[in-house]
Amino acid sequence: MSTQAETGAKGFSLGALARRPETGTVIGLIVVYTFFAVMGGPVFMGAPGWSSWLNIAAEVGIIALPVGLLMISGDFDMSVGAIIPASSMMAAILCGHYDLPAIVGIVGGLGVGLLVGFVNGLVVTRTTIPSLIATIGVMFAVMGLTLGFAVLIKGSTSVSYVPDPLTKSILGQFINGMFNVSILWWAGFVALFFWFLHLSPIGNWVYALGGDQESARNAGVPTNKLKISLFMMSGFCAAFVGVAQVMTYQQAQVAGGQSFIFNSIMCVVIGGVLLTGGAGSVVGIVLGTMTFAIVNQGIFFASLDPNVGSIIIGVLLLVAVLSNDTFRALALSYATKKK
Amino acid sequence: MKLTKTLAVAAFAALLSTGAMAQSIAVIAGSVEDAFMDKIKKGVDDATLMVEANGGSVQYLRTQNYENFGPDLVTLINQAVAQGVDGIAIPVWVPDAQIPALQAAAAQGIVIMQYNSGLPVKDEISAINYFGSDEYAAGFGGGKYMAEHGAKHILCHIQVPGAINLEERCRGVTDGATAAGATVTTISTPANLDGDVTGTAEALKAEFIGDSSYDAMISCADFGGAAGANAVEQTGLDIKIGAFDFSPATLDRIAAGTQTMAIDQQPYLQGFLATSMLFANLKYGTNISTNPVLTGPAIIDSSNVAAVVAGAALGAR
Amino acid sequence: MNAITDLLRKPAAASILSLLGVLAFYVIFGGVDLGNLLSAASWVNYAARIGIVAVAVGLLMTSGEIDISIGAMIPAGAMTTAIISGYYGLPIGFGILGALAVGVLVGLFNGILAVRTSVPTLIITLGTLVAMQGIVLAGSKLLTGAASVPLTAPEWAKTLFGQLMFGGSHQVLIIWWVAIAAVAWFVLHRTKYGNWIFAIGGDRESARNAGVPVDRTTIILFVLTATSASFVGMCNAILFNSAQVSGGMGDIFNIIVSVVVGGVLLTGGFGSVVGIFFGAITFAIVNKGIDFTAIDRNWSNLIIGVMLVVAVLLNENFRQMALKYVPRKKSQKSDVTP
Repeated sequence: MSTQAETGAKGFSLGALARRPETGTVIGLIVVYTFFAVMGGPVFMGAPGWSSWLNIAAEVGIIALPVGLLMISGDFDMSVGAIIPASSMMAAILCGHYDLPAIVGIVGGLGVGLLVGFVNGLVVTRTTIPSLIATIGVMFAVMGLTLGFAVLIKGSTSVSYVPDPLTKSILGQFINGMFNVSILWWAGFVALFFWFLHLSPIGNWVYALGGDQESARNAGVPTNKLKISLFMMSGFCAAFVGVAQVMTYQQAQVAGGQSFIFNSIMCVVIGGVLLTGGAGSVVGIVLGTMTFAIVNQGIFFASLDPNVGSIIIGVLLLVAVLSNDTFRALALSYATKKK
Repeated sequence: MKLTKTLAVAAFAALLSTGAMAQSIAVIAGSVEDAFMDKIKKGVDDATLMVEANGGSVQYLRTQNYENFGPDLVTLINQAVAQGVDGIAIPVWVPDAQIPALQAAAAQGIVIMQYNSGLPVKDEISAINYFGSDEYAAGFGGGKYMAEHGAKHILCHIQVPGAINLEERCRGVTDGATAAGATVTTISTPANLDGDVTGTAEALKAEFIGDSSYDAMISCADFGGAAGANAVEQTGLDIKIGAFDFSPATLDRIAAGTQTMAIDQQPYLQGFLATSMLFANLKYGTNISTNPVLTGPAIIDSSNVAAVVAGAALGAR
Repeated sequence: MNAITDLLRKPAAASILSLLGVLAFYVIFGGVDLGNLLSAASWVNYAARIGIVAVAVGLLMTSGEIDISIGAMIPAGAMTTAIISGYYGLPIGFGILGALAVGVLVGLFNGILAVRTSVPTLIITLGTLVAMQGIVLAGSKLLTGAASVPLTAPEWAKTLFGQLMFGGSHQVLIIWWVAIAAVAWFVLHRTKYGNWIFAIGGDRESARNAGVPVDRTTIILFVLTATSASFVGMCNAILFNSAQVSGGMGDIFNIIVSVVVGGVLLTGGFGSVVGIFFGAITFAIVNKGIDFTAIDRNWSNLIIGVMLVVAVLLNENFRQMALKYVPRKKSQKSDVTP
């Protein structure tokens, strides 16, 4: 942990827990959970409630992790919204239409994600186009390709596939009848990303990239390779969710997935990632994702008008960014670091 | 520059002349991303073979998505009019937006054929006939089926709040089920969950747990059937699942017994009949004396699913 | 030769080239009939709808900020008009004012947060986007019990905002678009306010030091984007006699793409109204003109994506040329490339 302070990106010491951006997120999480526990009653606090929001959190959470890392390094990825249907379509067409083994479909679907991520990274590092615009362009292109090829090959925008029991149990099973196996995958991804960002030496590079790209390059960080890898990670994770959806619901559609673009960003922001790059943590992203999912699902258990959920999310988001500002000001003034 | 201009003028003249001699038809349909519309397109494609064999032409116009639906449909109507078609086949999904545009088209002598949706406004747009299902009748049939198969309390799921045709479906479900002795509760999920199976499944799960008296569900959307089946799988409750329309995956579920039934309106027939009958009217002056022509509801359950699977493999069901 | 390089150095160059490229592509590969395409109303109507908001968003982006809450403001404007004048039956004047007022309020909210905090405006407006979607839907449910409200506007309102003209297929919105673009052109390129916008987009701090009222200008620009979106929603409600609560998420990307194709730099300080104007036309022709070609509609998104990247690359090259030609200190490149 101490090495991170040297990068100058995080201006706080371990003792200053109250000044950590995550503290605000934890408070938000507790407030939201308490509110819905009161409104939703014992059902929401029991297994049905937990499974309900965890299932939602797992899907968006897997994507929020790499999106968060990208945002820490100062970049956006809008193309995730197009990668989800593209990868599920690829998997369903390979297995459901051409009758290839499940593993081919899974590899094919994930390959789509890696490839699109690679293209994103290439465009962003080789040109001066901001990542927001570059990935919007890629998003449109991938959407067009998915629709075009689905209709060309299958003549339909919806493809079905019934996976074998083994594949289903790995990617699309409900444990104990309620908990989607993707929750475990999410936990795995969280561990992996935690190691990557906070324990491995590369993690510091990510912060450095978000702090100041030029000085990071001068300090010997392979900035281009790192950026391309980060974009490939977000492509891979989005593709993973797409493939898992095919195995769970046994069908793929060309539309859908758009909502993940902003949802994943919202999770990350609620989780305290500063959007100016250079700060944030995996724990924060996970907490933000949980808060987001609890609001989204709690609303149904609380029998409120579902649209009120959007208002709560919007307010939470604004509160989160405002408190981030306060926390950062606190942290910076305490550390008296030159920014 | 001069060459392109000459070419443009020539092409325009060619188009005008073909328009005057042969019957040209525009078929307007929903989003290119909507699998239901693919089945309508199969019907339109098959009818186009006949139309072209007789010297006519068919243009198939679809919106990109459903986000700006009313304006998009009006845009397509105006486009068809601008291209000088003789007839337009179109569903009426957004009556307030579409009616004035269609009335203007009809006033220019363009023949209107209606299909799939909007039966109540058929006379307002002076459509010569209607091929589709009556939303209310389809809902009535579905509700009756569920109640007769033992359901006591049915959840009717609407995926787009405020969509008039969906509310009509659930009104039908309510009346059909009530007539057979069951009760119905209508639930709308937020529009941002439209198409989101995971989100809708979790929302339905919350409803099922919240009221344990539910023993059946009818969703107005095909993906709602997938979501409902998933919610049942998660909760382990004994709830029969039904849905309007179907996809290949729906047929898999009906065959496997995780979904009880689907309410089909045979979109292939709608596309096929609307196109071919509009052309026949323009070219030969024919009219079907049955008016409107209902292509649904046809209930698909375990007893007839095998036949439907065969049709689905050919893209027509 | 000089005239050509002069032209290429203009921010609008890339968007005009993109437009020509798209038209050439459609003619060569799509066998499109140009006379037929150019006389059609569909894409002009769409360009006007996108273009009115794009002009405002373009000015905002020239000043270095972004507003994605527009996606919620189009349905919000439509619903406000329909609820006030359709459901409650008040005169249409109240509905129109109500819609514009909602735009001004949300714009003020966005703008004040933008200048008072250090949070990127993408995130601030993402918050208002989601919140407004909820407020509009829940509000409509609460007040009217439905998510779709019919509206019958009187003749004068239809003539002003919702009429079709030229034989019934071009919307009056087109005139509004051209007028708004003309005013914006005048303000941006012929007044001191335009210089302020460029200065803010170039370097906020030095603009402030030079005496530019940075905060007030930024807030006004946010008010303009939100209000232009609610204005378009209001016109749509009057034209189509109804308002529906719909996503509008797609419009966010469509409008940003138009602006960027129009040569506006996302990081601010560079852009032109002519470019934005042609950007909207280009986007509309790609999206709606494809129906006139033999190309399958399914591929339109692919074309948009490729065109966006190519147009931005062209922009970059032309801008480099412009910078080389007029030697000046390269403004400090932001280390964040959102």
